[in-house]
Amino acid sequence: MNLVFALAAAILFGIGAYLVLQRDLVRLVLGVAVISQSAVLTLLAASLRLGAAPIYPLPEGTLSDPLSQAMALTAIVIGMAVTALLLVLVFRVAVAFRSDELEEVAGEEVSLDARLEETEGEAHEREEAAAR
Amino acid sequence: MSPVIGVVAPRILAPAVMLAAGLIVKGYSDTGEGFSAGVIVALAIGLRYITLGRRRADRTLAVARHANVVAAAGLLIALGFGFQGVLSGAPPFTHLPPPGSPVIGIGTLELTTAVGFDVGLFLLVAGSLTVLIRYLTELLPDPADDPGDER
Amino acid sequence: MTALSIALLIPWAAGVALLAVDGRRAWVPWISVGALAATLITLGAVAAQVLASGPVTMTTGNWPVGVGITLRADALGVTFALLSVAMLTAAVVHEAFDGVAEREFPALVLLLAAGLEGAFLTGDIFNFYVFFELALAASYVLALHGPGPRVLGAGLVFTAVNVVGTFVFLLSVAGVYRVTATLDMARIGERMAVADPNAAILIAVGFFVAFSVKLGLFPFHFWLPTVYTAARPAVAAILSGSVANIGAYGLLRFGAGLLPRELELAAGALIVLGGASILYGGVLAISRRSAGEMLAYSAIGQVGYVLVAIGIGGPVGFAAAIAYAIVNAANKTMLFLTTSQRGVVVGGLFALGALSIAGIPPAAGFVGKLEVFRAVVGDPVVAGVLLLGSLLSLVYAFEVYQVEHWRPAADATAVRVSWRAWVVPVALGGVILALGVWPEPLLALSDAAARVLPGANP
Repeated sequence: MNLVFALAAAILFGIGAYLVLQRDLVRLVLGVAVISQSAVLTLLAASLRLGAAPIYPLPEGTLSDPLSQAMALTAIVIGMAVTALLLVLVFRVAVAFRSDELEEVAGEEVSLDARLEETEGEAHEREEAAAR
Repeated sequence: MSPVIGVVAPRILAPAVMLAAGLIVKGYSDTGEGFSAGVIVALAIGLRYITLGRRRADRTLAVARHANVVAAAGLLIALGFGFQGVLSGAPPFTHLPPPGSPVIGIGTLELTTAVGFDVGLFLLVAGSLTVLIRYLTELLPDPADDPGDER
Repeated sequence: MTALSIALLIPWAAGVALLAVDGRRAWVPWISVGALAATLITLGAVAAQVLASGPVTMTTGNWPVGVGITLRADALGVTFALLSVAMLTAAVVHEAFDGVAEREFPALVLLLAAGLEGAFLTGDIFNFYVFFELALAASYVLALHGPGPRVLGAGLVFTAVNVVGTFVFLLSVAGVYRVTATLDMARIGERMAVADPNAAILIAVGFFVAFSVKLGLFPFHFWLPTVYTAARPAVAAILSGSVANIGAYGLLRFGAGLLPRELELAAGALIVLGGASILYGGVLAISRRSAGEMLAYSAIGQVGYVLVAIGIGGPVGFAAAIAYAIVNAANKTMLFLTTSQRGVVVGGLFALGALSIAGIPPAAGFVGKLEVFRAVVGDPVVAGVLLLGSLLSLVYAFEVYQVEHWRPAADATAVRVSWRAWVVPVALGGVILALGVWPEPLLALSDAAARVLPGANP
């Protein structure tokens, strides 16, 4: 059972990491979401006992470990919030650069930087001319 | 858009709110709590925004425009119920009334601080997800079957 | 005990309430400053109690110990909480004088303060994760505050890298729970000592990666320069002076506090990575011409000293790491707040900060460097690398000083800054100078904080 959990979490993490490394920004968000699911699965797999739901009135027999379920729930909530935040961020980037390809965003940035440097260089030249 | 969704989307919100209320109330003896209740309501609101487009949805659901206030108020309510114990020197998240003592009940609803905390949580989740939905549908074109809404 | 809850509640509630108002109005940041000051005072009360009579512990919900989540303030946590909140206060006061540019800035700083404080003052590793995420979520949005669309790309990188980093942290938390069956830091320390070494090393590596990403250490630094240079000066000051503390604290708490055996095992690797960070940051900082970029690379180099000190370990090493982290936070906050300003006062402050980075008296950086050198005294190679790093920092700091402050400024408006723009940096400069001249309180505090860690009491 542990092996199954471990394999599933590892595969999820691998898929997520692959997606995060893609150029497409929406895939980045999806990758983060998948990685968060891998962490949630690991939290569940870390539970010390498996059994009936630990809800009052308590049923007979072994109960599941409630703590790791509580942790998994919290991690799901936090994962949702973080994914939402990333999604909004990607949305803003896409609107600002009119592209959701990371490379194009980077290219746009480089041209911005170049323009900045140009103006800075001109300013320096003017300064130096003034100093002379 | 399929006609089923067109019919269901505007009408699903009220049942969703009822379901959410049920989830909050029964969360103390059965599965359910404020977070899932908030997600359910937010899903209904999301469906409405996707089908109607942002402007019409805003008009039919005025409270959604103040979703950020709802979310902040919800968080403040949750913090208030969570930290009320501090007033009497108890640690945060202390239950009132304490375990074992009589609880005031309205029907099956038992008034404890935990219920108040969950209501705050519900408002926070529903509110912040609605903010997200409205943000993301901002640039969505309004559905074509909406000619009267131009200008 | 109540003071601990109130110290958490004030910034949290005030932050949420301030989200509703426009932070660009003149009075809003002052409310934020007031709330942070109240937090500082309450934290000071907690710190006095902690230093006088030992850690303050509280279990939420009046649950029996071992069931509920524990909040625990010990000397280490309180030191870092005070440091971070003080630096945040400085940054907000600076912005309040200067005019806040973004609507939600005052509220976000309060939420960031609540998250940092909660992370430093908890005794439960999962609760640490939750507050860690609260602080990071606030810092993700703060990192978007800067001029132009370039900040969006930088913010995206910052968010994506740190989100993945925190999930790695969460994986390690799951591992700890599986191995020790508890989330309480005090008991994890005991049970980790008898745990399966292979599992423990895996967990330790996860924690190390997560905190190194946060701190911007050498192989995990790639996001840092873009983010620090794209953001507003006040935001860069917050990120490097307050948020980065969580990395140093995490390495100390989780490494020296919970996994001392694994830390000892990895000491060599930590020292090598720290040395690489120092040299890499120093060499790249030399190639930079603007103050902001120089500071960004310098930040990578400076955290290398903290890592080397942690790698050396023992009471002297941990105390040195804490003292260095405190001094570095003050340095970076002051220097980032003065970037993009010119004038005699700012020039003087920059020179003071440069001396402090290079570790030359009378600036406080001297004390921090001296402590680290005291820790590595038995090892000539490490001491040589540290010395080389100090020389590099002297070169890059004064090179930028020359470029930025000896030449007439590119546009004349930058020269005439009003007193409002430099009053906070001057105050921070005063603190740095005072700590350099009279370092006893700093050393006593970092000693007390280091003694909390089991690795420091052999």
